Amino acid sequence: MSWQGWAALAFWIVTSALNVAIANRWGGHRWAKLLVPVLFGITLLVLWQGMVTGLGVSPVILPPPSMIAARFAESTALLWGDFAQTILKGALAGYVIGCGAAVLVAIAVDRSPFLQRGLLPVGNFVAALPIVGIAPILVMWFGFDWQSKAAVVVVMVFFPVLVNMVAGLAATDALQRDLMQTYSATYRQSLLKMRLPAAMPFLFNGLKIATTLALIGAIVAEFFGSPTRGMGFRISTAVGQLDMPLVWSEIAVAALAGSGFFGMMVLIEKAVTFWHPSQRAK
Amino acid sequence: MKKFLIGAAALALMAGGVSAEEVKLQLKWVTQAQFAGYYVAKDKGFYKEEGLDVDIMPGGPDISPTQVMAGGGADVTVDWMPSALAAREKGLALVNIAQPFKHSGMMLTCLKETGIKGPEDFKGKTLGVWFGGNEYPFLSWMATLGIPTDGSAEGVKVLKQGFNVDPLLQKQAACISTMTYNEYWQVIDAGIAPEDLVTFKYEDEGVATLEDGLYVMEDKLKDPAFKEKMVKFVRASMKGWKYAEANPDEAAEIVLENDESGAQTEKHQKRMMGEIAKLTMGSNGALDPADYERTVKILLAGGSDPVISKAPEGAYTLEITDAALK
Repeated sequence: MSWQGWAALAFWIVTSALNVAIANRWGGHRWAKLLVPVLFGITLLVLWQGMVTGLGVSPVILPPPSMIAARFAESTALLWGDFAQTILKGALAGYVIGCGAAVLVAIAVDRSPFLQRGLLPVGNFVAALPIVGIAPILVMWFGFDWQSKAAVVVVMVFFPVLVNMVAGLAATDALQRDLMQTYSATYRQSLLKMRLPAAMPFLFNGLKIATTLALIGAIVAEFFGSPTRGMGFRISTAVGQLDMPLVWSEIAVAALAGSGFFGMMVLIEKAVTFWHPSQRAK
Repeated sequence: MKKFLIGAAALALMAGGVSAEEVKLQLKWVTQAQFAGYYVAKDKGFYKEEGLDVDIMPGGPDISPTQVMAGGGADVTVDWMPSALAAREKGLALVNIAQPFKHSGMMLTCLKETGIKGPEDFKGKTLGVWFGGNEYPFLSWMATLGIPTDGSAEGVKVLKQGFNVDPLLQKQAACISTMTYNEYWQVIDAGIAPEDLVTFKYEDEGVATLEDGLYVMEDKLKDPAFKEKMVKFVRASMKGWKYAEANPDEAAEIVLENDESGAQTEKHQKRMMGEIAKLTMGSNGALDPADYERTVKILLAGGSDPVISKAPEGAYTLEITDAALK
C-alpha cells in the first residue's frame, strides 16, 4: 500500500480521537454539534481517497472522490437536466398527486367504516407490489416520459401517507371531541378546526417517509424505459459505459436532493405543528 | 507397510492425474442460441477433451460483461467490439482473442405506416436504442449520416429501449433496434406482418461493427499457463460453433436444455440458431484485421461525439487463434 493509504489511516485515527474528545468535553455546545459530523464526513472522504489510491483500486470498480468531484464539476449542465427531469417533473408531480389523493381518501375512509374495512387491506396489497414489477407496466401504459415515473411514485407514496393520515384522524381523544360537540360544531367545522390540525404530526410523519420513496420510485422507474435524460437513465447507461465517476456524481445529486426535500418537509412541519411537544426547543 | 505403500501410490496417481482446468465464461446476454457454440462445446464434451471445466455464466439486463471482467468475476467474456474498445479507452484493458461472429446482425426496424423509406426520413422521428454498451453502433451511424440525436426537429429523438419490442407495438417509437436473430422475430410473433415493416440492416448501410467476440484482460495474457488455457478454450469453442452451424436444430435443443430460466421456446431458439449460423459463417474464429480496422474507423467517425477518441493499440491479439487453429 502506497503512502496515501497510510496517510489516510493516520488521519482517520487522529480525527477519530479528536472527535471523541470534542464530543465528550464540549458535546453540549452548538459548534461541537456541527463540527463532529462535519469532521466525521471529511474523514470518511479522506479515508476513501487514500485507500482507493493507496491500494490501487481500478477506477472502473471504485473511483476516488477527487475523480468524482472533477466529473461533477464538468457535468453540472447534464446533472441539472437529469435532476429537472427526474426530481422536478417525475418525483415531485407524483408526490403531490399521491399525497393529495392519500389525504382525500383518508378523510373518506374516516367517514365510511365500509371503506375502512375494504380499502385499507387493498391499499396494503398494492403497497406490497414490487416496484420493479409495476414500473415496466406503468411505462407501457403512460409512455416513456415523466408521466409514467410520476405514476410509479403515486403508487409507492399513496399507502404510507394514507395509513398515517387515517391514524392521525383517529388521534383526537374523547375529551376533545366532546368539547367540539358542546360548541355544536358541524362535522365540517370539527374536521377543519380540530381533527385536521391534530392529524398534522401523523401526516408529516408519512410525508417525510414519502420523500424518500418518491426519489427511489422516480429513479428506479427510469431503468425501465425513459427518454435519453433523467437520473435513472444516466446511472444505468453510465454503468454500461463504465463511467463510474458520473454514476457517483448522480448518486451525490440524489443524496443532496433527498436530504433537501426531507429538510424542506421538516421545516414545513416545524411551522405547522409548532404546538406539538416534539417541536418544543430545549 | 505394503498396504500403506499401495495406498500412498494410489493417492499419488490420483493427485497427479489430469484435473480439469477451470474456465469461467461470462456471456453477454441470457442463455440463447446466440451462444450456442459454447453450450454445444460443453455438452458434446469438446471442452472436456481439451481438459477444461468451463462454467458458462449467463448474462442479462443487469449484468455488464465489462464490469464482471473488471471485478475479476470471469476469465473470458463474450462482448461486442465497440463496447470492449470503449471500455479499453476507459482504462479496462480488454483484449480480443477470437472473433466467432463475422457478420453483424443489428438492424433498425420501422413501421411502414410512419412513412420512412430511407435513412433521410429519420429526421424528426423517435428511434428506440438499447443502451448498456449497445448504443455505440447506432450513435456512429447517426454521426455518419450527420443526424443529431438531441431530439431537435432536424435530428432524431432517442428512446432508451428496454429489452423488448413494446415501443414499436405501442407506437411509442417509429423505429426500434432489433437483431436479425431475436427482436425482429418477436415483432413478427406479435402479429405484425413483414410487409408492414421497413428494415435497415447495419451491414447494408455500411456501418456494421463486429459483434460477439471473446475478450480477456490484458494482464492475464502475460501468464503463459493462462494463454495455453485460452488456446484450448478457443479451439474447443470454435469446434462447438462449427458443429452448431452444421446441426442448428440439435444446437437449439442443447441450448434449451441448458436454459435454467425456462423462458426460451423451441420455435424461437431454432429460428435464432438458423439466423446465428448466417452470422458465424465464414469465420474460423480468427479476427480479420481488415474487419477490425473497419469497426475502428466507424467508431472514430462519430463527429463531435465519437465512441472512441483515438485508434486503440493492442486491443486484439492473433496469438491465441494462431495457436488454436494450427
